[in-house]
Amino acid sequence: MLVNRRTALKQVLVVSAGLALLPSCLRKPSPASISLKNIAVDAEGESMLAALADTLIPTTATPGAKDVKAHLFTLTMVDDCLRKEDQQKFMEGMKAFSDLCQKKNGHSFEKSSPGEREALLKELEAADAGKDAAASFYRSAKHFIITGYTNSEYYLTKVQVYELVPARYHGSVPVKPIPKRTA
Amino acid sequence: MANINKSAQDRTFDAIVIGSGISGGWAAKEFTEKGLKTLVLERGRDVKHLKDYPTTNKMPWEFPHRGQVPQAIQDEAPVVSRCYAFKEDAMHFFVKDKEHPYEQDKPFDWIRGYQVGGKSLLWARQTQRWSDFDFEGPARDGFAVDWPIRYADIAPWYSYVEKFVGISGNKDGIANLPDGEFLPPLEMTAVENYFKGFVSKNYKDRHVIYGRCAHLTEPQPIHLQQGRVKCQKRTLCQRGCPFGGYFSSNSSTLPWAEKTGNLTLHPHAVVHSVIYDDQKGKATGVRVVDAVTKEMTEFYAKVIFVNAAAVNTNLILLNSTSNRFPNGLGNDSGVLGKYFAFHNYRGRISADYNGLLDFTTEGRSPTSAYIPRFRNVVKQETNFLRGYAAGFSTGRRTWNSHDGLGQQLKDQLFNQEMGNWYVGSHMMGETIPKEESQITLDKTKKDEWDMPVLHVNLGYDDNDEKMLKDFFEQMTEMYTKAGFTNIKTEDSKQAPGLDIHEMGGVRMGKDPKTSMLNKWNQMHAVSNVFVTDGASMTSTSTQNPSLTYMALTARAVDYAVSQLKKGEI
Repeated sequence: MLVNRRTALKQVLVVSAGLALLPSCLRKPSPASISLKNIAVDAEGESMLAALADTLIPTTATPGAKDVKAHLFTLTMVDDCLRKEDQQKFMEGMKAFSDLCQKKNGHSFEKSSPGEREALLKELEAADAGKDAAASFYRSAKHFIITGYTNSEYYLTKVQVYELVPARYHGSVPVKPIPKRTA
Repeated sequence: MANINKSAQDRTFDAIVIGSGISGGWAAKEFTEKGLKTLVLERGRDVKHLKDYPTTNKMPWEFPHRGQVPQAIQDEAPVVSRCYAFKEDAMHFFVKDKEHPYEQDKPFDWIRGYQVGGKSLLWARQTQRWSDFDFEGPARDGFAVDWPIRYADIAPWYSYVEKFVGISGNKDGIANLPDGEFLPPLEMTAVENYFKGFVSKNYKDRHVIYGRCAHLTEPQPIHLQQGRVKCQKRTLCQRGCPFGGYFSSNSSTLPWAEKTGNLTLHPHAVVHSVIYDDQKGKATGVRVVDAVTKEMTEFYAKVIFVNAAAVNTNLILLNSTSNRFPNGLGNDSGVLGKYFAFHNYRGRISADYNGLLDFTTEGRSPTSAYIPRFRNVVKQETNFLRGYAAGFSTGRRTWNSHDGLGQQLKDQLFNQEMGNWYVGSHMMGETIPKEESQITLDKTKKDEWDMPVLHVNLGYDDNDEKMLKDFFEQMTEMYTKAGFTNIKTEDSKQAPGLDIHEMGGVRMGKDPKTSMLNKWNQMHAVSNVFVTDGASMTSTSTQNPSLTYMALTARAVDYAVSQLKKGEI
């Protein structure tokens, strides 16, 4: 088929217009991997939380918080167990956290280097969660991530073993020194 | 329920028991064992032992919210959400506020379990006997009316039920907390033992004892025959126990009754009222609304036991009106629904102990130590009437630091730290039943089952406030002298009802002019109706009440059957 110059040009224009549109198409939020009823967190928010979980309790020789899906537990808890006003606070804080990261590091938390992530979180550790929205989000997310990790199947079967049927109670036993474990 | 089309003969039994909770279960067991065809009516669904404990073997991570009740459920059920046991693993055994509304003339947290077994699935399982210091309380101190029974009347029945239930405890030889038929006690912690020794050395009439509780620490043949085995110290009792390690109607009395072949159990049966026959001068049966279809059916029996749990027993009797009893069944005295009471659980005290740090505990305990009442026992000695018992529990503080992040935080989560001991008590105070403390029926509002909506008017009084203050003072003194530090008192300000020890309204007494029931828990005015749950209590004393309901029930059934045989009722 003979393609004249005008048509070819048109096609290029259409294609480039499409390309110009593409980034915003990609930015169109894809949903989180679990269904949420009350809060609007998309895949991007989910992966930011996953990165936060991984920074707080990293994967080493043993699984970390992201491996046990503590970030998804966090979303479930915020979605189901927080009051409306606290959900709102969490969401506002999440945005403030994301903006702060963008401002400080020039890119998202996920794309930040381990050093950048740590510096940001250390700053928030020291900040007043009562006044600072990003710090408030961080404090709350950290709480849920730790709860999710320490209540995970991995943690309760390999780290602090939960016994469904202890079959014993000894009122008074000597304290035994417990060897230090490396996580 | 589906009994609508059966003939009147098919709907006729020897005995009807309204309610399948801790006392109804006992009535069922006793009647069926004595050969009476017995119908047990339960307003909720069936819960079969083992089969209907959906969460019992779940691991913590199998609960999507790790035990927390979602906010949407809490928002719809603020009352039951205040109950300590209303968690993700047991919330299916509690009534949600919205499902069964009631009117609180004053704040009243009504905690209910509408299912076969009732709250016996959920109870805290603490079991102490009353003594004459308790039964003689109202007469000595001039409130309510004199109990028509004394310890000697009920003592053999305590023994009778204790042997079957299985009560763990220690023979302590305390006059105001009589010893029972005990299985071995659960151990005390090093600090509990220390405090026990300290208190007995420094206070003549105060004791710290092993908790007495309905757990099989060493099952006897009678328990194994029930299919129950040793308590495995899971402390997940509220889910229903696959071992039958603690006592419930579901694990014990109801299956026992079923084995006799004399039990008919109808779940989804909301009892509307007791039918009274003016001609015969007796109750002839009950009207039942099917919880699902809302259709009404009548059932008939020679004798009727009302064990619907204290508040609902009052409701049923108030709603049982007839020409002879326009103000409620057997209510010649006018006291029905009145003199309602509860236990004051507002006081809590916590502290630290920095001694005995070489010791800790291992495993989990389903009970705690107990401090029997020591105020005003032998004679009046304070500016308030009666007294309080207290729980006493201790344990080592353990935690994982949540400071920092990254490898540091992870290392901390892998290495638990151990601190000093925590020490804690909560009060269980006797409250005085008063005429104005009452349950009444709404004149117009009805629920889905055509039952009048009930009003509860119950509150704290000056005596309760003084007693709370004394609890704080005395416990603070004992804690301080024992060397506990960082002592903190807390008034939970919780509403009556959250103690789940509501009692009275259909009280026992000697005089038909001032009470509803005689010394056999039999209605003064209607000889074939008995009430043996919390509603029958003349006063509350300080003991956890369930054991007394069970003993009163077994005793009353024994009497009722002997009277039936004699043709007296």
